[in-house]
Amino acid sequence: MVSLTASVTGKRQTQRPAGRTIGRPGLAWALPATIFFALFAVVPLVLVAVLSFTTWSGLGSPEYAGFDTWVRVFQDPVMIKSLWLSVLLTVLGVVVQTPLSILLGVWAAGPQRNRAVLSAVFFVPLLLSATAVSVLWRALLDPNFGVPSQARWLFGDGNLFGTQTAAIGVLVFVSTWQFTPFHALIYQGATRAIPQVLYQAAQIDGAGTVRQFFHITLPQLRNSIITSMILMIVGGLTTFDTVLILTQGGPGTDTTISAYYMYDKAFKGFDFGAGAAVALMLVVVATVISLIVVRVSGYDKMAGTKEGL
Amino acid sequence: MKKRAWFPRAVAGGATLALGLTLTACGGDGASAGGDSGTIHVLVYGDSANKVEKAIVAEFNKTSKVKAVLDTVPGADYQQKLQTVINTKQAPDVFFNWGGGSIQPFVKAGLLLPLDDFIKKDPGLKDNFLSSVFNTAVVDGKSYGVPMRGTQPVLMFNNKKVLADAGVQPPQTWDELIDAVKKLKAKGVTPIALGGGDQWPTLMWFEYLYDRVAGPELFTKALGGDKSAWESEDSKKALGMLKELIDAGAFGTNFDSVKFTDGGSPQLLASGKAGFELMGSWEYSTQQDASPDFAKNDLGYTNFPTVTGGKGDAANVVGNTNNFYSVLKKTEHPEAVADFLKLMYSDDFVKQQLAIGNLPTTTNTTKFLDSADNPDYLKYQFDLVQKAPSFQLSWDQAYPPSGITPIHQAVQQFFNGQVDADGFIKAMQALPTS
Repeated sequence: MVSLTASVTGKRQTQRPAGRTIGRPGLAWALPATIFFALFAVVPLVLVAVLSFTTWSGLGSPEYAGFDTWVRVFQDPVMIKSLWLSVLLTVLGVVVQTPLSILLGVWAAGPQRNRAVLSAVFFVPLLLSATAVSVLWRALLDPNFGVPSQARWLFGDGNLFGTQTAAIGVLVFVSTWQFTPFHALIYQGATRAIPQVLYQAAQIDGAGTVRQFFHITLPQLRNSIITSMILMIVGGLTTFDTVLILTQGGPGTDTTISAYYMYDKAFKGFDFGAGAAVALMLVVVATVISLIVVRVSGYDKMAGTKEGL
Repeated sequence: MKKRAWFPRAVAGGATLALGLTLTACGGDGASAGGDSGTIHVLVYGDSANKVEKAIVAEFNKTSKVKAVLDTVPGADYQQKLQTVINTKQAPDVFFNWGGGSIQPFVKAGLLLPLDDFIKKDPGLKDNFLSSVFNTAVVDGKSYGVPMRGTQPVLMFNNKKVLADAGVQPPQTWDELIDAVKKLKAKGVTPIALGGGDQWPTLMWFEYLYDRVAGPELFTKALGGDKSAWESEDSKKALGMLKELIDAGAFGTNFDSVKFTDGGSPQLLASGKAGFELMGSWEYSTQQDASPDFAKNDLGYTNFPTVTGGKGDAANVVGNTNNFYSVLKKTEHPEAVADFLKLMYSDDFVKQQLAIGNLPTTTNTTKFLDSADNPDYLKYQFDLVQKAPSFQLSWDQAYPPSGITPIHQAVQQFFNGQVDADGFIKAMQALPTS
């Protein structure tokens, strides 16, 4: 192994201009990560792909079924509904969380001392597990003994888990409550990295706070916005625990998002073939959406935001 | 140089880790040892009732040459674990289940031993159990299970104080129930607490009403694959009556946001915000834990009301009949297994189950009821189950596992008005029956 590393690095050094490879590790360094990735990501993914062309109840060995499993899955109206619901929840999550977390992040990036204390408190939801958060909100939103019973003017009869609109609202609210701090953290860091000279120059030119925000802060945060959005999209499409605890896909199938649908098929109905097909489709959808975001935003070109500095 | 020096160490470490993982995996396989002679493995749902099972296994091992080993799997993972091991070398000899649909796939796959030969040698294996319970584990005319814990019939619980305040008697008939609903509503109380968020409490209303209106035969027919049963007049009548009850505001408007499992609906009953709750017999111990004073003084219970002109016997009950031990066909020690199963109707077994609040379904149970903590409640339950001409297993357990979610969705959607009677009937007709 030692010699391999040496030879690889040696070769590179002769092939490329010395300046570009200085401090660049050899390929062998990627080996442990590659092996782990292959073992725990690629292999299972291939197995899931194979499984999706079978029928398997967990009893005995899977039977090859060709595209039958896929046809069966796509003929289920709940499947199509679950995809729409996943997309809807994700879009709502991005739309609600992005402006909130930018504002909070930029605010928290300020220099005053009380902000540091406040923002520390503010990050608490991030420290809790999604399961704990869901259990907490389920109890808080109990129609007879929770907050809705004290605020009838706002919640009416408190049937928050009994109608689709309200249930989706609760899901969006809970994930916003939990994950906004995380995204705000990203924006806080990014805001602090913006060179002060930009603001100083703007001030000299007579730009106010609002103008500074829209013409300096926001453009400088472009890459962070994309990073945060990709995380939200992938996170949104794979949301599971909050749905499992808060709504169990109900009322009826009104919050049965794809990840929950997959769990339901595979682990509650013992239809592992169908579950695998849904899982594989989720992987494809999430990858495609992420790629689109990266392409459209020009993130892949790794363009800096500090041109002209 | 420094970097390269620890690179091999990292690789070595990674390799050791990988090797370790493989070794652990091998160790797991070897340790389960389904094949070694002289032991039978008993797989049970892991919870607080395990102390009785441990004691029974210890008692069995005192006299038996073939030793029993008790394996427990935490509740939430039990069915998945069972499904994955049952067709492998690691399969247990005897395992815990819910009878009905929960063992049907295994019977179909030819994995289970019919117990008819055991029963021929020792008729007590059948006769010492209440027949309405024993029959739950009969598939295609053959017995596949012996009852092994306590029975859980569904009862109509009430808050005596709330009922008295509204001048309502516990209803004997459906009309009296409707009348009680109106009176309770006039008092500003939610007439019936319902944990609709859990879905299965909603299902209990269908189970009882179908039984009372059509008799147990309708469901038996439907479960057997005759989908026309769901379109029958009786089926439509039962749905119509349910609709009437819902529309009368019997459950309030926010029942789908209430759960039983987080203590919501029991608290509604205990705090006097609701008059009734239809729930499994575990409601009693639930209330005892959460509201001991209420359980002691004001918790009332009756059987489900009768329906005038209905075909079902007023004494029929629904719920979880009991849990069962089933036997794998490939067990190497059938005699030892038969001996082990005999312990499930022993006096000692009954006493120990009663001590932890379970109500065994053996014929000798009555002897020991007086010495239990809450003899009245246990006796009431036992009589109910003993006299029941039919004990309908919960629909979601009678159907194969793939039917659970569609059933739960259909009952919830019918209750909240998303589907009408025809939609419900269609959903039930689409269920897998085998």
